[in-house]
Amino acid sequence: MAGLSKGSLAALVALVVGALCLLLETTLPWLVTFPETLVVPATDWVGTGMTWLLQLIKPIARGFSALMSYPMEATNLVLGSSPWILVIAVVTAIGWMLGGVSMALMAVVGLGFVLASGYWAESMNTLSLVAVSVPLALIVGGGIGVLANEYPRFRKPVQAMLDIMQTVPTFAYLTPLLVLFGFGPVVGLIASAIYAAPPMARNVLLGLERIEPEIKEAAIMAGGTRLQQLFQVEIPSAATQILVGVNQCLMAALSMVIIAAVIGGFDDIGWEVLLTMRKAQFGPALMAGLVIVVFAVIIDRMSGTLAQDNRKRYDARVAWGILAVGVVASAVTWNSLPNPSEYSAFDDAVDAVDAGLSAFTTANWQWLAAVKNNVLYFGLLPLRIGLDEAVLPFTWGFQWTAQWSLGLFAVGAVTGLMLALRGQVTWGIMVLIFVGMLETGITNLPWPFVLVGVAALGWVASGRGLAVLSVGLLLTILLSGLWDRAMLSLYLSGAAVFACAIVGGGIGLLCAVSPMAWRITRPICDMLQTIPLFVFLIPVLMVFQIGEFSAFLAIIAYAIVPMIRYSRHGLTETPDEMIEAAIASGATTWQILRDVRAPYAAPTILLGLNQTILYAFAMLVIAALIGTTGLGQLIYLALGQADVGLGISAGAAMAILALIADRMVQGFAEERRKVLGL
Amino acid sequence: MKMTRYAATLGAATFAVTTGMVQAADLGAVDKPIRLAVNEWTGQHVTTHIAGEMLKAAGYKVEYVSAGMMNQFQAIADGDIHATLEIWSSNVSDDYAKKIGEGTVVELGDLELAAREGIAYPAHVGELCPGLPAWEALKDCAPLFASAETLPAGRLVDYPADWGTPGADRMTGLDLPFKAVPAGSEAALIVELRAATERKTPLLVTFWQPHWAMSAYDVKFVDLPAGEDACFSDPAWGPNPNAINDCDFAASRIFKAGWSGLAETWPAASEILSNYTLAVEDQQPMMGAVDVDGGKVEEVVAAWMAENEATWRPVVDAATK
Amino acid sequence: MSDKPQAAISCQNVWQVFGPNADSALAEALSVHSEPEAAAAALREKGLIAAVQDANFEVAEGELFVIMGLSGSGKSTLIRCISHLLHATNGEIRIDDENIVEATPARLIELRRKKLGMVFQHFGLFPHMSVIDNVAYPLRVQGMKRKARLEKAQKVIDLVGLGGREKHYPRELSGGQRQRVGIARSLVTDCSVWFLDEPFSALDPLIRRQLQDEFLQIQAELKTTIVFITHDINEALKLADRIAIMRDGKVVQIGTPSDIILNPVDDYVREFSKDVAKGRHAHVASVMEPGEGHVYGADDPGLRVDMTLDAALARCMDLYEPVPVRAEDGTLLGVVNPADLAAALHVEAG
Repeated sequence: MAGLSKGSLAALVALVVGALCLLLETTLPWLVTFPETLVVPATDWVGTGMTWLLQLIKPIARGFSALMSYPMEATNLVLGSSPWILVIAVVTAIGWMLGGVSMALMAVVGLGFVLASGYWAESMNTLSLVAVSVPLALIVGGGIGVLANEYPRFRKPVQAMLDIMQTVPTFAYLTPLLVLFGFGPVVGLIASAIYAAPPMARNVLLGLERIEPEIKEAAIMAGGTRLQQLFQVEIPSAATQILVGVNQCLMAALSMVIIAAVIGGFDDIGWEVLLTMRKAQFGPALMAGLVIVVFAVIIDRMSGTLAQDNRKRYDARVAWGILAVGVVASAVTWNSLPNPSEYSAFDDAVDAVDAGLSAFTTANWQWLAAVKNNVLYFGLLPLRIGLDEAVLPFTWGFQWTAQWSLGLFAVGAVTGLMLALRGQVTWGIMVLIFVGMLETGITNLPWPFVLVGVAALGWVASGRGLAVLSVGLLLTILLSGLWDRAMLSLYLSGAAVFACAIVGGGIGLLCAVSPMAWRITRPICDMLQTIPLFVFLIPVLMVFQIGEFSAFLAIIAYAIVPMIRYSRHGLTETPDEMIEAAIASGATTWQILRDVRAPYAAPTILLGLNQTILYAFAMLVIAALIGTTGLGQLIYLALGQADVGLGISAGAAMAILALIADRMVQGFAEERRKVLGL
Repeated sequence: MKMTRYAATLGAATFAVTTGMVQAADLGAVDKPIRLAVNEWTGQHVTTHIAGEMLKAAGYKVEYVSAGMMNQFQAIADGDIHATLEIWSSNVSDDYAKKIGEGTVVELGDLELAAREGIAYPAHVGELCPGLPAWEALKDCAPLFASAETLPAGRLVDYPADWGTPGADRMTGLDLPFKAVPAGSEAALIVELRAATERKTPLLVTFWQPHWAMSAYDVKFVDLPAGEDACFSDPAWGPNPNAINDCDFAASRIFKAGWSGLAETWPAASEILSNYTLAVEDQQPMMGAVDVDGGKVEEVVAAWMAENEATWRPVVDAATK
Repeated sequence: MSDKPQAAISCQNVWQVFGPNADSALAEALSVHSEPEAAAAALREKGLIAAVQDANFEVAEGELFVIMGLSGSGKSTLIRCISHLLHATNGEIRIDDENIVEATPARLIELRRKKLGMVFQHFGLFPHMSVIDNVAYPLRVQGMKRKARLEKAQKVIDLVGLGGREKHYPRELSGGQRQRVGIARSLVTDCSVWFLDEPFSALDPLIRRQLQDEFLQIQAELKTTIVFITHDINEALKLADRIAIMRDGKVVQIGTPSDIILNPVDDYVREFSKDVAKGRHAHVASVMEPGEGHVYGADDPGLRVDMTLDAALARCMDLYEPVPVRAEDGTLLGVVNPADLAAALHVEAG
């Protein structure tokens, strides 16, 4: 025992527990299925508790709701009744001030596209929702960040709270929000503020923490009071980082406004996406989605320039000129312009897209279905229910028998032994564990094995604390009876994350090597992250139909982006000196990539993997719209039934899975960083 | 549990119908707008806009508020929304029964829209499985409908999970070799219909009418044994002596509901909404005009109102004159 | 203890301990061990770090006191204790006879506004403010009107030779210019105690020498009490009235530049002076013996007390007899043996 490394020890423990469970599962069935008598009605308790709590604070919430409706109605009135010429002129003028000709041009072209698409009115509704929710999120997020900075002992709880705010699926808290704030746009507003506040809080805290100590000390030595130090020195010094937060906050609010459309109450662009999707009209849905992308790009680029250090200044007179032209043009054309809803320049293109999709699926569905079947039979199904159940005459062409199991284990044991003999003890044991999991299937894994395995992983990743935390949190899922659902979610997101890691890592590598590939990939990544995901459900469903495979693809489409970005970023950001040293040693491009860039990029890539995991969990809920059966479905059920307890519990279970995965990957990333001395 | 909810709403319905027969009433607070819920599907938009126009004809102000079908009842209970006009008994949230129990939401009677739910298929599937629409044909055709997820059973695309599992219940009841796959959303159902029609592939879905897709994709219902009450309680009833649910869906009732303060605030409006009815023959063409031909709900409804004044005017007059 | 009233700064038993529950841990260690060494060892045992251990010294009014040591020796921590950017874990720090360890936050703000000024190694400039706004900031927090404070800031900016760059932002300045801004900012309040934390070590050697010279001029003009941190022995020797050498949190030696050079207390200090051209820093006084009773040769090379050793040696290269050291008016002050002069320059070899 003493000669074993930490990793192999952990793996060995997991292996022993797993083997014991496999051997005993026939005699002790409770090892596989958690005894139902032990399940506590936690969901009901949560429901009762929450309902009580909600009733308690409902009057305050309603008051707030009434209060918020004033700025909402005001902005809505202003944006809705302003002539579109004026709105475009204002945005263009702002664009000029921020980024000169290119930014102004972007504003004109972008808003021109929105106008021509016929979604002007809906867009203005969306914009007014963002215009009110973002300041709210900025105030809340900024306040949290400053407070956490002032009182260091709050930092940990605040970080945990921010993690929860971001990992609990939004749909899970829509129900209590509805109860609290009543029906209507205010709920969308609050939901988007909740979702958009954490990035702001994080960046404010990060910015304040990163100020050079000397600057803070200089402020102290100048004799400033704490408030003077904070507002005159620290916050302005952290301005760049804080503006990064503002940018992220804007983007989060925008994406959330779309999701909040699910509860309706506001005739915005998100609602439009949902309506067209309901009719299975891919063209119009894509169109509405693109309008959102245009907004996202404009908002992102404009607020992004704010965060740049050496921003050029542009002549304000030009901006006033643009504004004046806008005012004059509005006055001249007052009442003589047609209603912007009647523009429909892209109708033909939209129809063509829709028809194109039909033509494509009709022509290609057979081989696509074959791809789907193969992935299902040989990949997803065995992963979910194990080889022993997935291998059937009409899937693999033969029946799985005990002999097959024995043979598989024998192969696993021999491989493992060989690895162990060559010094790779940990990998040897891991191979055996993997074989066992493949044979059993993730959703059929005995719960004691999952607990021990997660504890072992947590212990290796970051020590005893994480192991205890993970097991404690998983136990709550087990006891509240959501285990089966959670394992289903784990399986689906796990498979998707695995695929993302392989494919995304590969694309990232390609982009790191070839600037051309990155030039093509980058806008696709941008679009995948900003377009409402609902839009993609239609083509995926058209081609692959309802079921796990479609959900799998939808999750990948969204979650692969950070993997690509971080892989590329990590692989290209190696310090020049290291590369020069490698070149001087005579390494080829690929050798540099393998021996220098990749190891150096490992922590960054792990960070990307971490993001991918969080994205995959976030997408699970939306994937439930195409008929998955995990926790995501429960959250929809709860939303439909206004079942606060179920919604919160399922949301919490999801957050727990995401949180554990997050902490583990961060632990490994931290370790890599330490090894590299970063 | 589903059955008890059902009974409760039926009871409430009779009550609403009897109280609806009052004579001309006060208009009430005409300056305060009446807010009508606009849910997610076009049929409901048509229904709601007709009702709204009728209220306007009676002299009221009307606002249309976008709201989710399943979670609108909290808003109605709070008086944020004043009425919702197309509730399907087959698809109503537990929240509704709760709010009815509290008395914060009241029923406003039947819409009398003859709705139907059933196991359905796009017309081309009839050629692939020649025995259809008789349900017995499905026994032999099942492998035709099989997919990777359901092998060796056939695949039935059921309602989204949050609408219940009526399709799966039928398959178990009738002992058909089909595995029900929940659709996740209405959109997913429509996409399935569209894809199957375009590719001429087999498809079996749980579906309902009125729905624009019924005509757009030429959807037909499978003939199942009629859904009598006994079928849902007595296993002996029907083709399968060992199971309940071995029959078609029970007839869906479509009704209206509103805020408890509706009758007090706008007595005449409450009466108009209670007596308002709409027929499938009227609604389905309007849905087609909107969804298939791309018309605007307001315009389509206005055209219908102009042509069919004889249908709706008496309801308004009865309440106001 | 004897509180000498003339001391501008006095530190007694100052400790700065980092780690969990530093206060109680130090109190406990000090109650058990009377020797600072032993107490520090006990703290280390518990995983705490004693960054400053039992520092004792006084700085006279108008004195330029340099604290020198390698990085990690605790010199930056010590200056932060004195300026109360860190709250000393133990001890008494008196500035003009006021124990600032016990000063209230309000009093500290008052002190900093009126009495204390500080210059930082990496300048600590506010990136969002122009040069003049940076310099005027200490006045701004006092609530001085904009016009008045800009006027005053302008004077200090001119003093440090940055006239004409008032509107520039820190990022547009070179390192030397940035530190001039830092110096100007610390001077704008007419402080009487001036802290400089390695102010020149981030600069190029040439700029460094230039700034050191200017610093000496400013000091000659203002005559403030100065605590100056550096890791550069040449800088310390050039500037200091007295030098305190720190090692691993302890002050190992305090003395005048020639003391440090000629009489290092241990190898650590000797190591510092190894590369120093001692002849340039030590003066004749350090090797002079009292004149009475000493014989000296007939030659008088004209040695003076404040001559550097280099200069003195140059004058008596070929002499072997002791030579007289006289004041300007010719009175005999002492006697120097040329052999001692040479030996003093090679002290580390012996």
